[in-house]
Amino acid sequence: MKLLKYILKRIFQVIPLLVIVSVISFFIIRLSPVDPLAELKLNPSISQEVLQKETRRLGLDKPIIVQYGLWAGSFIRGDLGITSSGEKVSVKIKERAFNTLILAFCVVFMTWITGIPLGIISAVKQNSAIDRLLMVLASVGMAVPSFFFAILLLIFAVKTGWFPVGGLTSHNFSDLSLWGKITDMAHHLVLPVTVLFTISIAGLQRQMRANMLDVLDSDYVKFARAKGLSEFKIIFKHALRNAINPLITLLGFEFAGLLSGAALTEYVFQYPGLGRLILEAVMKSDINLVMASLMIGSIMLVIGNLIADILLLITDPRIRT
Amino acid sequence: MKRILYFIFILLLIFIFGKSCIKADIPESNTFSSANAEAEQEIDYPKSPRNITINNIDYLQSQAPCGNYGGELISSIIGEGPKTFNPFTATDATSSEMGSIMYDGLFTTNAVTGNIVPKLAKSYEIKGNDYIITLRHGIKWSDGVPITAEDVLFTWNDIVFAGLGNTSVRDMLIINGKLPTLTKLDDYTVKFTLPTQFAPFLRQLTLPIAPKHYFTQKPDWDKNFDTFLSTTTKPEEIVSSGAFRLKEYVAAQRVVFKKNPNYYEINLKRQRLPYLEKLVFLIVGDFNNEILKFEGGELDVIGLKGGTVALYKGKEAKSDYKIYNLGPDTGTMFAAINMNTRKNKDGKFYVDPVKQRWFNDRNFRAAIDYATDRNNMVINVAQGIGIPLFTAESLNSIYLNKNLKGHSKDINLAESYLKKSGFYKDSNGILHDKYGNTVEFNLYTNAGNTEREAVCVMLKQDLEELGMKVNFKPLEFNSLVNKLTNSYDWDLMVMGLTGSPLEPHSGKNVWYSTGSLHLFNQRPAGKPATDKLNFEKELDDIFDIASLKVNFAERKKYYDRYQEIIYNEKPLIYLYSPIRISAIRRKFGNLFPSSLMGLTYNIEEIFVKNTEETK
Repeated sequence: MKLLKYILKRIFQVIPLLVIVSVISFFIIRLSPVDPLAELKLNPSISQEVLQKETRRLGLDKPIIVQYGLWAGSFIRGDLGITSSGEKVSVKIKERAFNTLILAFCVVFMTWITGIPLGIISAVKQNSAIDRLLMVLASVGMAVPSFFFAILLLIFAVKTGWFPVGGLTSHNFSDLSLWGKITDMAHHLVLPVTVLFTISIAGLQRQMRANMLDVLDSDYVKFARAKGLSEFKIIFKHALRNAINPLITLLGFEFAGLLSGAALTEYVFQYPGLGRLILEAVMKSDINLVMASLMIGSIMLVIGNLIADILLLITDPRIRT
Repeated sequence: MKRILYFIFILLLIFIFGKSCIKADIPESNTFSSANAEAEQEIDYPKSPRNITINNIDYLQSQAPCGNYGGELISSIIGEGPKTFNPFTATDATSSEMGSIMYDGLFTTNAVTGNIVPKLAKSYEIKGNDYIITLRHGIKWSDGVPITAEDVLFTWNDIVFAGLGNTSVRDMLIINGKLPTLTKLDDYTVKFTLPTQFAPFLRQLTLPIAPKHYFTQKPDWDKNFDTFLSTTTKPEEIVSSGAFRLKEYVAAQRVVFKKNPNYYEINLKRQRLPYLEKLVFLIVGDFNNEILKFEGGELDVIGLKGGTVALYKGKEAKSDYKIYNLGPDTGTMFAAINMNTRKNKDGKFYVDPVKQRWFNDRNFRAAIDYATDRNNMVINVAQGIGIPLFTAESLNSIYLNKNLKGHSKDINLAESYLKKSGFYKDSNGILHDKYGNTVEFNLYTNAGNTEREAVCVMLKQDLEELGMKVNFKPLEFNSLVNKLTNSYDWDLMVMGLTGSPLEPHSGKNVWYSTGSLHLFNQRPAGKPATDKLNFEKELDDIFDIASLKVNFAERKKYYDRYQEIIYNEKPLIYLYSPIRISAIRRKFGNLFPSSLMGLTYNIEEIFVKNTEETK
């Protein structure tokens, strides 16, 4: 009951946040000198009548406040509007969201499944050879810019021919068997996942190590050792549960970044995800599409934090009071 | 000790990684010179397809050599991919291209001569202002429904003349405020009646024909026309007439077409075309990615630019692709001069009156023209893959005025033009007009277009030789367009426009004094031009009269004159045309590249050779 009330309260807090985010972004986009019809205007075979028709269709002939009102009205009714090329925004986002989710889940899964154990190992074996090696690898991972690393891997793919050059599926994808489809996708995913994995594992591993070291240094761990508990039990039953708390908050933020966090990598690998869609939409000032993605981003951030808070409620008894 | 070992280990890692990425430099001897670019390949074009009637069905028979069935061709589109599959609502090049693959028009363009040749239509006859068009008997849409006069009537009367979708074709055909009328004579014959002679008309009939039974299956189809055949339409339900029909569209990844079993073109052995089983377009974000995909073997054909041409030409002999020269680009690049002398709503001049005097002085414009070193631009910016341009029509236009030979840079002549108008250089070499004002103005182009930026830098240097002070200001594309079409507050601008090598009248928005893209002297939309310059008047008349001349030779005289006017008056100073170079895998047969239509326009005739033939 208390939990439910807490969740409801959090959800109500979201509404003013969304209003503020939408107002700021709408006006910034609209006041920038980007004209969604610029390309049409420079096409000699497009007549004045077509341009006027497009202006009316996109509502560009109305004052900016009215435009915002129209947008907000339809957003509340659940209608995300149409893009500047006349397609439904909801359809466009749906087309891409699934691809981005696949990529994001692969990356998150991989980083957490390897990052946490590696963090624990380097904390437990502090200052050993393996700790040093992990530290060097983490520094390399943090230092390499994702954009540059992605390009290097692409060149690698072209030179060796071991991996496809960007994309998510081969051109004959729809003719493949189910197993063929899965391996084809996996084959395409290796490189982008490698880039994002390298970037995010470094941070996670270091964070886990630092937390773990803190906890291992605490009194209750010393007490447990003194009590003669096995090292295994100390680490996994007592230390880990406490060390992982800050990482759960991190997970909340990671959830928000799921749909939009990898735009640069997506762009280099020509990955058909949301990040690339939004990047292109911003360039063209495709207002409905940009607004929809910003709203999704904000909502995801809020939901992510909410989930993290709830998880914390479960793992950390101190917060429950 | 341990530390040093780690250090060496890491250095080794970095070295190995770096080594795998470094590629050996291309030797100097492989550099592509401009001489190579101009050498035309000898291509043995087959005869134009002809009509043949078998069992009461009027087929079109391709005269190209017979090939093998099967295989696929993988091409690419740069950008976001098609926005619609409806050829009547498409406003961008990619969507139009996709539409034209699925839908044939009544006529098409002969790739060699540029003449209009029948496609869906069997033949045509012109009687005065009447165009009588006979359709083929017995040909079918991809779902088996016959293609008849009803479909033609529907396309022109209910879509085009009714003003649905992209109305550019309709707007072009409004002659003296009237539209042509279309009537049905029988199930396979229709008649267009024009209010008066209008030369560009026949070429407009290359517009695709829509299947009436498919487009009108929903009762309020005309209200939802803009969203009809959107990219979310199920591919299997789309009814089409072209050589290929849609198989699948995957957003941001690819468009796949499969052969249309009912296509009405046959080969010399009387088997149905097309040969290819599938036609794939991969959607790639930019040119670099396209190159990588071609290198990786995922693409069969690619358009090459600047430096990459040299790279590919060098490797051509040892590779599995062949490079074709498709001739000059159909677009034009120019430096426009703002000759606007009007005031805006607040009573302020769009262009500073001091500058107005310069820009409206023909001698000043001529000086800019003669000071411009086009050859240098071709060599340095286009890397030799280009030809200097002096005419308003592109170099492969069938209406190109070949008498306008152009000129090379002549700084003395340019200075003498300036002297004629009283310009003088002071002791510091800075140019002043006869009232003593320093000649200083801004040069704009769209930021991010590296080619145009480089051209601007060279143009600036050329003009500084004359003592002009040029401030080069690259602007974001949208702001630039706003300057051109709205605020008119610019001086000199390097821009490009797409053009049609077949129909000068499609440039009317640029050349009519009230045109919406009359860049050099733009007037606000909807206002009559009361202050036309003399040459603007003549241009207006030329475009009016030339559009009424149906005879090609007669018509060309007028368009020759219009190019001559632009050449003499120089409101736009044309710079150069890049040459289009394409590479395609050798395994494809029946390639007849043409400067007018490109490389894969005859997609129904292209086939995959057997492996022995490739070698």
